Amino acid sequence: MMNGYRAYLPILPVAATYALLLGIGVVSPDHWQLIAQLAFYCALGQAFNLFMGMTGYVDFGYVAFLGIGTYGMAVSIYTLSDKGLGIGVVLIGLVLAAIFSLGLSLAVGAVALRLRGAYFAIATIGVNEGFRYLLEGARIWNGADGIIFSRHLRQGVGRQTAMALSTWWADILVFGVAFLAAVLTLVYMRNKVGYALLALREDEDAAKVMGINVTRYKIIAFITSAILAGLLGASAWALKLTYVYPSDVFAIHYTVEAIIIVLLGGAGTLLGPIFGALTYGAAKYFLAIVLPGFQLLIFAPVIIAIIVLFPDGTVGLLKKRLRDTPLGKFII
Amino acid sequence: MPLLKVRNVTKCFGGLVAVNNISLEIRHGETLALVGPNGAGKTTLFNLLNGVFPADEGQIIFEDVDVTHFPAYRRAHLGIGRTFQIPRPFNSATVRENIAIGGMFGAAGSEIDVDRAMAMADHYIEVMGLSPHRDKPAGGLTPIEKKLVEIARALAMKPRLLLMDEAMAGMNPKDIDKMVAFLKEIRETEGIAIVAMVEHIMRAVSGLAERVLVMHQGAKLVDEPTREALSDPRVIEVYLGKPPEADHAHG
Repeated sequence: MMNGYRAYLPILPVAATYALLLGIGVVSPDHWQLIAQLAFYCALGQAFNLFMGMTGYVDFGYVAFLGIGTYGMAVSIYTLSDKGLGIGVVLIGLVLAAIFSLGLSLAVGAVALRLRGAYFAIATIGVNEGFRYLLEGARIWNGADGIIFSRHLRQGVGRQTAMALSTWWADILVFGVAFLAAVLTLVYMRNKVGYALLALREDEDAAKVMGINVTRYKIIAFITSAILAGLLGASAWALKLTYVYPSDVFAIHYTVEAIIIVLLGGAGTLLGPIFGALTYGAAKYFLAIVLPGFQLLIFAPVIIAIIVLFPDGTVGLLKKRLRDTPLGKFII
Repeated sequence: MPLLKVRNVTKCFGGLVAVNNISLEIRHGETLALVGPNGAGKTTLFNLLNGVFPADEGQIIFEDVDVTHFPAYRRAHLGIGRTFQIPRPFNSATVRENIAIGGMFGAAGSEIDVDRAMAMADHYIEVMGLSPHRDKPAGGLTPIEKKLVEIARALAMKPRLLLMDEAMAGMNPKDIDKMVAFLKEIRETEGIAIVAMVEHIMRAVSGLAERVLVMHQGAKLVDEPTREALSDPRVIEVYLGKPPEADHAHG
């Protein structure tokens, strides 16, 4: 099972799905916004799954990492665009996004990861709201006025490039984050990290007795998941919109969407978040057209039904069914 | 030098003294049966030995290292393995993965990668007769099979000391004999010292243990070779109550 490249075969359906999405978007530019939105949900689900799916811990403050990543990009472009760095400001922005989300995840993780299960979830709810009010109240990074940096981006990289960045490259980066999250998930699954996370998800006390330093592995998953979220915020929000307001980015409903996506597809599976993201994203998009305003009303019972009927998520169920078939080695 | 040295260890839960000033020594490769009625403090003593919670007082020394304040995972790295009374396999993981996890993170864990651990798991699957269940999720096994998985997982940790919590409860006499023979064999081949907690399966005690430690109400009542312990009137009293008075005998 573990021998060489065959262990990494499940990355193929992931790559194929993203290539297909990208292909549809290129062939049919009218649908590009939908495709970009689906890619965002895929990346969000994959990144969130890396922590929630693999550890079983639910982080209700997750969107804070996307938010602070957005600020990483915004701060870079806003302050460095007149330094003649050209496209370098975007690269620095990505690095800053990663550093900011790393810093925040270390701070949150050091405190919250000492708590178990529901206590962890409750503690993290406060993180996002608290961080937003900190920015607004202390007027950090312009507080509630946000940072509007469209002009700075144009000034830094030129009008043409700025346009291309916001309308095309930002979305490509989102695909990149989604794929990176999938690759990291699979690498973790195939290495000791993944087995440590599997053990602690199933039974944290037994895992400790087996010699697993559970805190260490929880922090590894937490940080990885947070950095991916930071990069996602930097590309899908900062680079695409070229402005950022605390109330827009520190919005808890994104965390809720991430939870829905992961549960729909199957927590702790590789393909689950993609399936969840595509189902959720497409359903939300079409319901908004067919029954505008009623999406949430329809979603609630559907989600409850799915969670009751398929507690392992759709891919979780599929994985069980296909375990002993040739397809089984692709579906995890 | 003993493998494990416990000095005056005490643990209280609120007003209850669960383990009261216990001292004991375990030699390399020795098998000790830890015996005592329900509530005697056996499980608490196990939890103190492998670091599930810290002792309130006293000292625990394993192979010359003072592990009194070590968390459970560090004691596992030093070579203290453990099985639980009610088996706790990682349910969604396969039997093979469960056992491999023991190898990956146990005493030799730092040198063992995933592939090696899987190969080790295959070895223990073979030894324990779990081959038909190799790729099944452990959660779907019978309680006895789960127990076997747990023992295999603990052995894959390559422990120097194995704490077995009621390893044979619920087994039929034939299986107990098989398990006793198996444990004797691994004690020889792998040089593991075993502390087996046994509530009342005397068949296992007499077949396996060289020494018996009887606990009663948190304290050490008896610590002597198996034969003497099993006929010790204090032990009989703990289990069966006082012998009838003389006038009762007449009546």
